[in-house]
Amino acid sequence: MSANNLFLRSAFVRAPLKNGVGRYVCQLQRIVFKFCKSNGASRGMRDFIEQDLVDFSKDNPGVVVYLKPRRHRGPVIVGEYLNGDRLWMSVHNKTHEEIVKWVELFRTQQGNNWNSRLRKYQYTNHPSVQGPWTPFAFKDPELNTAELPDVRFGSNNRLPATATEQLRLMFEKQKLDELKTAE
Amino acid sequence: MVFLSVINWARCRGPDEFWRKRRIFRLAAHYIGRRRNCYSIAVRNVHRALVYATKARKLKKEDMKSLWDVRITAACEQHNITLFSLREGLDRANIMLDRKSLSDLASWEPKTFEALAAVAKYKLETDRFIDGQDKCHPTGINLNLKDVMLEAWLNEKKK
Repeated sequence: MSANNLFLRSAFVRAPLKNGVGRYVCQLQRIVFKFCKSNGASRGMRDFIEQDLVDFSKDNPGVVVYLKPRRHRGPVIVGEYLNGDRLWMSVHNKTHEEIVKWVELFRTQQGNNWNSRLRKYQYTNHPSVQGPWTPFAFKDPELNTAELPDVRFGSNNRLPATATEQLRLMFEKQKLDELKTAE
Repeated sequence: MVFLSVINWARCRGPDEFWRKRRIFRLAAHYIGRRRNCYSIAVRNVHRALVYATKARKLKKEDMKSLWDVRITAACEQHNITLFSLREGLDRANIMLDRKSLSDLASWEPKTFEALAAVAKYKLETDRFIDGQDKCHPTGINLNLKDVMLEAWLNEKKK
């Protein structure tokens, strides 16, 4: 899959209408639980409906929950979102704990991300607290009021080390190594 | 008269052909000319593109690593330390920051990076470690670390 694919566009993480910055609106509109009352594949689904469904509905009054018991059909969760997306997911042979986690994902998603590839997993409008780096970040503030060309600011002081300096450094290093071996 | 064998001579291509080719055309939608429209040309180019994508996953990591290294080196130069010394000093001080974090700090939080460079320099000084690389002094300012109680923090045992 190349980055230029027309059907898998690259996108950044976004919240629709800055959801969550002020108030948070649950993006899940409807959730449909389709299951079989007797088949073994729906066991996890049945456990979820018996134990966790009522709490889920109480905690999320804005989500409409539908239950569809269908004989001889596999268990399925269908979620419909405020932006119109419809997500179909089979929970065939999934355990109760797994279904709880998947339902939590459905609740916290904002829709279908099938046609977008997230470029980064973070997004922020304020990437810097101290102010981003500029070329003048660590320069002498006197540069602002100086009359250029200035002797101080124009001086050639970023010279490479002289041979004497290098020899001195080598001597210091040798002394330190001898001290360390002595220890 | 009933012709039963004539019907056996008629050939029908597989019913799957449209969908099989559609998988390729969807990946080739942004190509130019016949590469976008003709299957036998598109399939060659799509296969090459997929091979490039496979190889590039490793290359992207290498590219990002070298980009971060360049940025950290540039920031270090402003503070009179080399990349090697910075990494050595931060490792000895038990500060585990990876290349990505260091490069982000250098770009977005320059004061924090200055402090990190100062910590690394102080730690190497106390450990009597000399880096022989030429740093083309003097540029950076040595921060006043007297009020920070750095020795106590560096000496406390870290789990």
